[in-house]
Amino acid sequence: MTTYPGAGPVIHDPMTLPADDSVNAYTFCVELKGSEWFLQKGKMIAYYGSMEFNGIGHGRLDRLVRTSFHSPLHASDWVVASGSGKMLLADRAFDVNSYDLEEGNLTIRSGNLLAFQPTLALKQSIVPGFLTLIGTGKFVAASNGPVVFMEPPIRVDPQALVGWADCPSPCHHYDHGYMTGLMGGLRALTGLGGASGEEHQFEFVGAGTVLLQSSETLMAEQATGAVPHEPGVPGGGGVPGRPGQQAGSPRLPGQLGDLQRRFGL
Amino acid sequence: MFRLQGSKVLAVDMTGDAVKAKNGSMVAYDGQMAFKKLSGGGEGIRGMVTRRVTGEQMTLMEVKGQGTCWFADRASEINLVNLQGDKLFVESSNLLATDSGLRTGTSFTGLRGASQGNGLFTTTIEGHGQAAIMSDGPAVVLRVSSQYPLTVDPGAYIAHQGNLRQSFQSGVTFRTFMGEGGGEAFQIRFEGDGVVYVQPSERNSIAGDV
Repeated sequence: MTTYPGAGPVIHDPMTLPADDSVNAYTFCVELKGSEWFLQKGKMIAYYGSMEFNGIGHGRLDRLVRTSFHSPLHASDWVVASGSGKMLLADRAFDVNSYDLEEGNLTIRSGNLLAFQPTLALKQSIVPGFLTLIGTGKFVAASNGPVVFMEPPIRVDPQALVGWADCPSPCHHYDHGYMTGLMGGLRALTGLGGASGEEHQFEFVGAGTVLLQSSETLMAEQATGAVPHEPGVPGGGGVPGRPGQQAGSPRLPGQLGDLQRRFGL
Repeated sequence: MFRLQGSKVLAVDMTGDAVKAKNGSMVAYDGQMAFKKLSGGGEGIRGMVTRRVTGEQMTLMEVKGQGTCWFADRASEINLVNLQGDKLFVESSNLLATDSGLRTGTSFTGLRGASQGNGLFTTTIEGHGQAAIMSDGPAVVLRVSSQYPLTVDPGAYIAHQGNLRQSFQSGVTFRTFMGEGGGEAFQIRFEGDGVVYVQPSERNSIAGDV
């Protein structure tokens, strides 16, 4: 909070702006010296110097994308910033923090990740809607309210979960006593008799860190697309006996999405 | 005398003088205060017509009296700006209060205004005194000088001050239409001498979608 309370606002210029550090709780400054950063579309608010923003599909970035970007579903949401200068990142006046990973892995809600260094590799988590960063480097994430770090074993509210590092992926936990039986079913269905709204949690076990935001307002969900139709992929629909597509009509390459199937063609 | 109480409430100490403030933004006062609606922002008939025509409308009130008056608007962050004869350009929706001695007017912004979804005109404030502008999240104040030009996202821009030239940059290429745009298709470049206020949030604008 450099701006308040003030005799006057702090005026920043490229010399006083920090390099790869927070300007205040809501704004992060990235320094580019001929280097590159991956960046979610539209999160740049201002920059000094000369920079270029290119979509992931840009030909010259092919090599970079091959080594550090492994999530085709999110490709349209991300750009690569290159050039030299200082760039300010922010997201809807949410809290912004940077984190350093060292030979580590961290999984984060896809809407919360703002930017990362290409020394990290981005992959889709097996948990839908989450992304995993692997390697060494810095990344920037937004949260609604400051982030709290917790250690497993812990059960967390799904809406407060920002991400987790090093520990195994979470599992669902339902309050058994509350959810079962006739009364439980009625309560769950109607909310009558007082559903506390906390019957369902994510449960973490093992060694690691869990990141929570101090609010249950979610970041706008980024479209995560559909997981590939493959056997063994959760939600992929490729389960034997419940085929993801109609029997007898194998999916042809170039088929128009799943429109035909939806219309029963 | 403007001062901030916390970052979201503006306190103005008055001794018989007056301030102009956004209509309905008073949250409390002590002492004796009179509130008067200023039709057309106190810019006279010509200013009124200009504002009506340009769509850069703002409803201001004049507060006059003895004591302290507190202003706030939807828990927005408030930033104080000192003007010493220079000109402040600010979106009318981001203006909370000014000294009554400051002159307000409208000016043409061209494509920048269009790209941020705020219309083609902006409000100017001129003279000697203080103004309070609002932002979504605390504003970052960035200096622009001849060796450091600045490029700003139209959705995050709230105000600028000083002797600045602005130009509109468009990065729209054929890739934009293929859904592979850089996400920052529209930018405003500031050159010259002055400061620019940006907020850590982007309003919804057509520039955010390409």
